[in-house]
Amino acid sequence: MRATKFTALAAATVFAISLTACGSDSGDSSGDTGAAAPMPTTAATSMAPSMGTDMVNFGPGCAAVPADPANAGSFEAMGKVPVATAASGNPLLSTLVTAVKKAGLVDSLNSADGITVFAPTNDAFAEIPKTDLDKVLADKKTLTSVLTYHVVPGKLAPADLAGTHTTLQGEQVTVTGSGENFMVGGAASVVCGNVQTANANVYIIDSVLMPKS
Amino acid sequence: MRPGLRGAISGIVAAGSGIAAAELLAAAIRPGAGPLVMVGGAVIDATPTALKEFAVRELGTSDKPVLLAVIGGGVAGLAAITGVAATRRRAAIPVGTGLLGAVGVAAALSRPAATLLDAVPALLAAVLAGLSLWWLLRQRGRAATTVPDDGVDRRLVLRLSLLAAGAGAMQAAGMTVSGQRENAAGRSREAIRLPAAADPARQLPTGVAAEFTTPSGTFYRVDTALNVPRVDPSAWRLRIHGMVGREVELSFADLLQRPLIERDITLNCVSNEVGGPYVGTARWLGVPLAALLREVGVQPGADQIVARSVEGMTIGTPVVTALDGRDTMLALGMNGEPLPLEHGFPVRMLTPGLYGYAGACKWVTELELTTFDQFDAYWVKRGWGSQGTVKTASRIDKPKPFDRMAAGTVTVAGVAWAQRRGIQAVEISVDGGPWAPAELLPTASADTWTQWRFSWQATGGPHSLAVRATDRDGAVQPETRAAPFPDGATGWHTISVTVA
Repeated sequence: MRATKFTALAAATVFAISLTACGSDSGDSSGDTGAAAPMPTTAATSMAPSMGTDMVNFGPGCAAVPADPANAGSFEAMGKVPVATAASGNPLLSTLVTAVKKAGLVDSLNSADGITVFAPTNDAFAEIPKTDLDKVLADKKTLTSVLTYHVVPGKLAPADLAGTHTTLQGEQVTVTGSGENFMVGGAASVVCGNVQTANANVYIIDSVLMPKS
Repeated sequence: MRPGLRGAISGIVAAGSGIAAAELLAAAIRPGAGPLVMVGGAVIDATPTALKEFAVRELGTSDKPVLLAVIGGGVAGLAAITGVAATRRRAAIPVGTGLLGAVGVAAALSRPAATLLDAVPALLAAVLAGLSLWWLLRQRGRAATTVPDDGVDRRLVLRLSLLAAGAGAMQAAGMTVSGQRENAAGRSREAIRLPAAADPARQLPTGVAAEFTTPSGTFYRVDTALNVPRVDPSAWRLRIHGMVGREVELSFADLLQRPLIERDITLNCVSNEVGGPYVGTARWLGVPLAALLREVGVQPGADQIVARSVEGMTIGTPVVTALDGRDTMLALGMNGEPLPLEHGFPVRMLTPGLYGYAGACKWVTELELTTFDQFDAYWVKRGWGSQGTVKTASRIDKPKPFDRMAAGTVTVAGVAWAQRRGIQAVEISVDGGPWAPAELLPTASADTWTQWRFSWQATGGPHSLAVRATDRDGAVQPETRAAPFPDGATGWHTISVTVA
């Protein structure tokens, strides 16, 4: 019906107007400070540059991440700080953070120039028998080897995730899958992927990866 | 066409044309006062935290476009209802468009720093939408008798098309106007010729390494402005008021006529992690603040300067840091050029020895003399420290974390900073071993960072390298780890590398 077409046309016109009128905030140009000013205040108890990214995390495990943007473990807060700091704000990753601190890798991870981190959850570490875990935590060299096996140079977007990557530990890790379903090293599933931090893309996984050596 | 459908379409097109005209008017007279953006801002402010969390969780960073689309949909819905109602009773036109206008006006006036002028676009939108709807439906009675068999009222279609085309044209014009305005700030910046400093910076000492001065293009940027403010310097004013003997208002030209100083100064952000990137050194040109403050006369008891930016940011700076002899300035130039837009064009504050959040307000337009008791600046309200004194810090820049290198002599290099106090020593520890002194390169002043380097005889295996600095007061950088919140990070930057 023509009338339907006109309805669609009219609606499309108004929507085009309403969207372009406000579209200026997506680019680098605008003077609409009236609307821009309050946005960062919803979350900003910290100061950091805005990321300007539209990349969104995915996966069933994401629901366990705190939602309050003021919470240091929320996606919004993690996006503003480097990766080790981001992880330390997240209660799901406290065992990993303990291990990173014991290995003395906090600054290295925070000041690396762009990395991808496969971050095992506390549950993943809990699957390792306690005596074995304690042994690894006490042995800085082995611990460093295990942890750096979870880090790949460069920020890998989900589209680039599948494939074989050389880790910072030196050995390779293979990621299989696509879309929102990925396996890392054959055994670990990505439960929450593409979590943005200031210097790293994080993929939270449900099993600890073990290098061969 | 059924009367209901005709009314709905008419209502939507009428509202669309009114809003398009309002956006054009806003672009011309009052950038940022477009009704949709105003309503969006008001909605964000009024949204309960729980709903904001939901939006952030479910929509991620697309929450803003979704919000604006929802507002657009809401406006369209209300407009359609108004149109349908208006086919039955004309009184629905002023009621419906009046309601839309009232929402827009209320949103505009609820914004921080709102003026009555901000309400004009929304009023225009309501009036135009009402007139358009009335025009669309005016000959309803006669049209009803001439509706051809295919059910389409050609007169209405023609009018709808005319209005839609007009709305489209106004929308395009509005975007052109705002685009030109945005470019105008850039052009006026390019046209500015900064005068030479009456008191120029000393030449950098020989032996300074290449990275001493941070290029403006890579200088860190931390602020809350989603959109970089674009300020027309010819319209810019700086008002100094509050606890002063004599309130003054200065233009950009006024500042250019004052004797300028030029200094190399290191600026850093309190939110920088240990080893983080938010620190840089630039050559700044500006008006010394001390002389200005003496002219206006600071009243006894005033201990805080609250600097306000054009977008409403407030930065609280201790008065003493402007009057104790340091080179606190209203900076106009950075590395030989007018300030880049994202670094505060046309004028920003700069206070050597204070973190940016306490002494370096960008796009500054107001200095209010007050007390710390009376006013908490933006970040202080959010729990950050009020004084903002820079802590001594050091960073390893080479090698990079996780680098792999051959055994033998490896040059470890980096920077250390303790503005106002200066750096006396930098030391390196390998694998937690004894501290060994690094070589300090010449530096410009106590207000700039000090570059250092260290020759490391690297042996095979994994290693950790740590750095610490001592300021010229003899205080050694503390090992204790502190997070950036609330007053700056502490701890020795320690990185892991592998020697083959």
